[in-house]
Formats: sequence, structure tokens, C-alpha cells
Amino acid sequence: MAVPGSKSLRRRLTSLLISLTFLVLAVSGGLAFFRPFSIQVIGLHSLMGFIFVGIVVVHVLNNSRQLKGYFRTRIAWVALAVSVVLTLLFFLQPSPIKAVLGLSQNLGPTLDHFEMNEDGMIYRYSPSPDYKLELKVKSGPSYDLDHPPRIAIWLENQGAYHIKTLLGPDKIAAETLPYWTFKRRGWEEARKAAESEEETDAISTPTPNGSFDPADYILPADPETSTPYKLLIEVNQPDDAHGTHRDQPSLVYAVEIDNLSPVTFQLLELVGYPKREDEDGKEAWSLYFVDEGFGSALELIDSALLTIDRE
Amino acid sequence: MSDESPTDRRQFLQRSLLGTTGLGMAMASTSDVVAKPVPGEMDVDVTQEVDVLVIGGGTAGNIAAIQAGRAGAKTLLVERGAQLGGTTTTGGVAFPGLFDAWGKQIIAGIGWELVKECVELDGGTFPNFAKVPKRHWQNQIQVNLFLYAILAEEKCEQAGVQIAFHEFPESIRATPKGWQVDCLGFGTRRRVLCKQVIDCTGGAEVVGMMGFERLREEETQPGSMLFHLGEANDPGRHQLHQLYVHGADSTNSRTVTKANLTGRKSILAKLRKEKKRLMHLQPETGFRESYRIVGETTITVNDYTSGRLFKDAVSNAFYPVDLHTKSGVKPKPLKPGTVPSIPLGALIPKGSRNILVAGRCLSSDRLANSGLRVQASCMGMGQAAGVAASLAAKNGTTPLDVPLAEIHRQLAKNGAIIPGKT
Repeated sequence: MAVPGSKSLRRRLTSLLISLTFLVLAVSGGLAFFRPFSIQVIGLHSLMGFIFVGIVVVHVLNNSRQLKGYFRTRIAWVALAVSVVLTLLFFLQPSPIKAVLGLSQNLGPTLDHFEMNEDGMIYRYSPSPDYKLELKVKSGPSYDLDHPPRIAIWLENQGAYHIKTLLGPDKIAAETLPYWTFKRRGWEEARKAAESEEETDAISTPTPNGSFDPADYILPADPETSTPYKLLIEVNQPDDAHGTHRDQPSLVYAVEIDNLSPVTFQLLELVGYPKREDEDGKEAWSLYFVDEGFGSALELIDSALLTIDRE
Repeated sequence: MSDESPTDRRQFLQRSLLGTTGLGMAMASTSDVVAKPVPGEMDVDVTQEVDVLVIGGGTAGNIAAIQAGRAGAKTLLVERGAQLGGTTTTGGVAFPGLFDAWGKQIIAGIGWELVKECVELDGGTFPNFAKVPKRHWQNQIQVNLFLYAILAEEKCEQAGVQIAFHEFPESIRATPKGWQVDCLGFGTRRRVLCKQVIDCTGGAEVVGMMGFERLREEETQPGSMLFHLGEANDPGRHQLHQLYVHGADSTNSRTVTKANLTGRKSILAKLRKEKKRLMHLQPETGFRESYRIVGETTITVNDYTSGRLFKDAVSNAFYPVDLHTKSGVKPKPLKPGTVPSIPLGALIPKGSRNILVAGRCLSSDRLANSGLRVQASCMGMGQAAGVAASLAAKNGTTPLDVPLAEIHRQLAKNGAIIPGKT
């Protein structure tokens, strides 16, 4: 038997690796799509995906001559068009695509739903069949559907760091929701800073920052060791002058969720309004307690009820 | 400040001449015949009568004493240590709180006056109470613990409060007019005849000596030993480092000794491991929990977390439910708008007369106590106890029979915030 050359060995190894990694990707991809969120499955799929990409690069280089030939044929244009169309469809996610994605049981944005009507706003989020979150914001006297308020919904950990935005506003609306914008923008930096902080362990207070992985809060592997987290909303009615305010600031409401003491119904409480301040020359936003200078902004929301069904 | 009245000195001289003092006995005991002490009797160096005796000069005690003194009561403050302030100074938890809740001040009065003066004199800063703290401790006030201790002494002196350091009650008995409390210090035996006692020992040790019921958990929360490693300590500007001292118990000199030895050993081990210089070390462990009294009223965790306004509320309180365990602490914040209150009944041992407590030993269940035990709340209790005791002494009655309106009036006069009135 002839001993294969190094080139031939490389090609064989590449083909075998492509086949086997493809198999792993296919199975883990199916599981990731159809099964509830699992960091093991997602981790396996993502990391194996990177390996797969590397091997494919080698494979393309091995077959570059033939590939160049294919690109000179008419069929190349068809392939290109199909690729572009699929990319656009999957990125923009029109309703039919969303419907397909809705079949997924995974923790993702596809399973959320937001609607606004004259009664208020409803946001639903169900990352798993075992977990259904609904936030019902009941309209107050100054709520006007023709000029609807802007809203952002997000989660924070015990260290008051943003860990996941459930409902983010568009770019224009985001300008009227400075607290969420600040939290969202700075969270990565804050996370690194928090993780490098030395933890103290005795006097009443030093609270561990906890995980920055939303799955650890929403669907903790072990609820007994999970830490409470917060769901916050920031709402703002642009151009709502009152008293000395030419435009009343946004208001932030929050509720703490504790998987150790699961509660189905919880009302969000008003926390405060954001105010810009500089911390060491950097822009920062802090919440301040609402004072008597507020009027209609306080009547934008009658109540905000969070319902979490855990099975 | 002299401890002895002319009468005391005269009695002391007479007893010396008669050979009834310890020295006299020693000199007379040249034969085998030794005079036996009469059971229940103590040879005393100092005898004095006061209206209010405050035992324990810590966070609550020094405020109680200042308040009683300002209300016109002849007041003696007995402290087992060498300075006032307790947890804030000797324990090193020099960041008392919380004086505010939901954007408003809810505890003021003498405690706040002392903290404010300390920060201002030290050039320190206050948190912005209008700002929502990301974590509750951000609204604690950083104070210079050394300055705090001296200012507390100054305020006692200004209020006419007599201080007796290094002493602790050895025996207590009821008298028709109140109590006879015999205290021991090194080289000092003091007999105090008082109308009212305020037990600010932390663990209700005086109440225990009187025989009233107390509660204690099988496993109590750890204490903390505070220190500073590395760079120079800057008092009043940052919190000290801290280590848990598991099993720390403030009940007696043996348990306190054990806690201090344990805490210091842990710090030595840390120091060796981290190879840093030890720049500061507190002389004593800060204790969180030992005994609680069974009072006329017991504050439950439900009362606490719902912000129940008791009919006989004398002070506010505010802090998360904050139970420390072996694995750490997960503070449970109170719901927005909630401000718990402290009833007078929780400061009075059930079935007692002429005795009050102030501080972490107030009558409460364990979870409520984990939030009530903090410094600002203890200061509020201290002031309320000082008012109730001084009025009871003045009226010749017991604190529970002092009209609440009179207590509120006196508290308001001294800058305190009355629950439900803000």
C-alpha cells in the first residue's frame, strides 16, 4: 500500500473533521433550538461552531482552485442571491420567520411579545415552557395612546448591574430613557469593574455582585443557591411639562424577584427619577427620590403588575 | 469630674477607721481570725444616688444618658470599656446608619446631632439622602471613630452625665424607690441607688441579672473584627476591612476574650498570607447578636417588614432584614415607603418596673432583630429610653405608665423624629 503524501493526509483529516464536527453541530443545534436553554448545549454548539469554521477555512483553501472555477459559472449568482436573501430574512425576522423561531424553546428574544393599547402595555416573556413572565402596565390618567410613552424593561443583578434587556426602545426613544441607556451602555465595563472588586465578608452590606448571566437568575440550575434579581422599567412621556419642569424626567419602577421565595404576583414600586452627574469626569446617571415637582408623570402608570408562572 | 460626694468621702474615712474597708480588713487580719463578709453585702468605695443609671455606654447607651441628663435627671453612665461609642468606636463600625429612608430623614435627635457634629468637625461628607442608594449601606455615615468617642464624652459632660469607665454591675436588688446596683471596677466598688435603670449592654445582661426572661438563638450571628491592611488607615473616610468571628458572644468577659483572641488570630493568619502591613486593628470584636429581652411588646418580622406603626411607637427604624450566617449575608430590602417603628413596650421587660433596655436586645423576633440592631435605630431607642426613664424618675412612676404624649413632647424637644408624624 502506498503511503499517502502529507497533502493527501491533510485533505483526509480535514474531510473527516468536517464530517464529525458537522454531526456534533447538527445535533447540538437541534437541541439548542427545540430544547429549553442549557449553557452546556449552547456552549458546545458555539465553540464547536468556531472549530468548524476553522476547518472549513482549511477545506476551502484545499479546494480553492475548484471553488474559483465555480465562481466563474452562472450558478454562482444564484448562490449569492439565495445567501443574501436568507441573510436578510433571518436578520430582519418578518412575521413568518418569527413564527418559525417561535417554535424554539430557547431563552431568546423570539418568545417575547409586547403590545400597547388604551388599557396600557403588556409584555410577555417565556424563555421556557416552565417559565412565563408577564408584565401588565395599567394606564394612568395621563396615558395617551396617540402619544404613547416610551418604555424599556430590563433585569439587574444584586449589584445593580444591567444583566439583560427584555424590551429595548428604538434609537430615538432611547434618548428619552437615559437611565436604561446608561445602564445598557456601561454594563460590560461595570461588570469587569465589579468582578475585580475585592469582596468584603463581614459587616452588614457587602453584597456579592452575583452572576452576570441572565440564565442564572431567570432559570437557575439550582434555585436554592440563586440570588434575587430585579426587573426594572423606565417610562417617559416626552414633552410633558409640569410646574418647573419643561419636560418631566422619566420614572423608574422596580421589583425584586427571588427564586428562593417565588411569588406569582408582584407589583412594581416607584424607585425614582434619573439625574445626570459626573463621576470622576465620566457621565453617570443615578436615581433620585421623586419630589413634589412631579405631576402628570406620576399618573402615566396606574400600576405595573408582574406575574411569573413557574411550573 | 469627682466620683465622690463629701458624704461619700466622710463615710469612706469612717469605714477605714473602723476597719471595714478592704484595706482595713487586711491590716486587721494579723491573726488567724478573719472576718467573714456578710452575704449580699459589699464594701463600697463610692455610694451615690441618681435618678437614672445607664449601664453600657455604647451606641444606644451614651445617647440614652445624654438624653436623661438633658431632661434634668441626675444620671450616671457605667461602661465596662475605656471609651464611649461601643460598636461605633470600640468595634470600629464607624459608619452608623440608617438615618434616612426613601429620601427623608427618619431618625434624628441626639444620635444624629452627634454624628453630624463629628462629620462636620472632621471635614467629612454626608451621603445625598435625595439620591436612591444602589445598596443600602451607601447611606451610612462615615465618622471618625476617635473623634466620635471624644464628642460623646463632651456631650455627656455638657448634659451633666457622670461617666464611670471600667465598671460593670456585680449585683442588683430592687428597693422601694428603684434599684440598688453594686458595680465593680478595678480598685473601685460603687453602690448606686437609682430610680430607673436603662440596660444598654447589648445583650440585656442587667435584665438577665434581675431575673427577667431573655431569649437567645442556638447559633448566633457572627461578630466582626475590624482592621486595615496595606495602606495607612484614614478614619472617617472609608470602611475598615473586616473578618467574621464565628461564635462571637458578648455575654461576659470570658466569651468576649474568646471572640477577641479568635478574631486576632484570623487577622494574623490573613496578614501572613497576604504579606501586607497591619495598619489598624480594633481592640474588640463588633458583636451582632446574643440575648434579647421578652418585652411587653415583641416586634415580629411581619411588623418590621410591613412598617407597622405601633400605638406606643417612640422611634423609627430602617434597615434591610440582615441576618448574617456562616456563609455571609443576603440583605432583604424593605419595600419602598416602608418605615418600621419601635414601640416603647419593646424596650420594657415583661412584668418589670423601673427598667428599660435600648439597643440590639430589644424585644423582637430574630429576623426583625436583624434589621433593628443597627446603629441609627439603636440611637433612636436610646433617646426614647432616656426620655421615658427620666420622666418616670421625675413622676415617681415606671416607664410604662409615663403618658406617651409626654414622651413624644420631650423627644421632639430634643430633635427626635416621632414615628408617624413626618
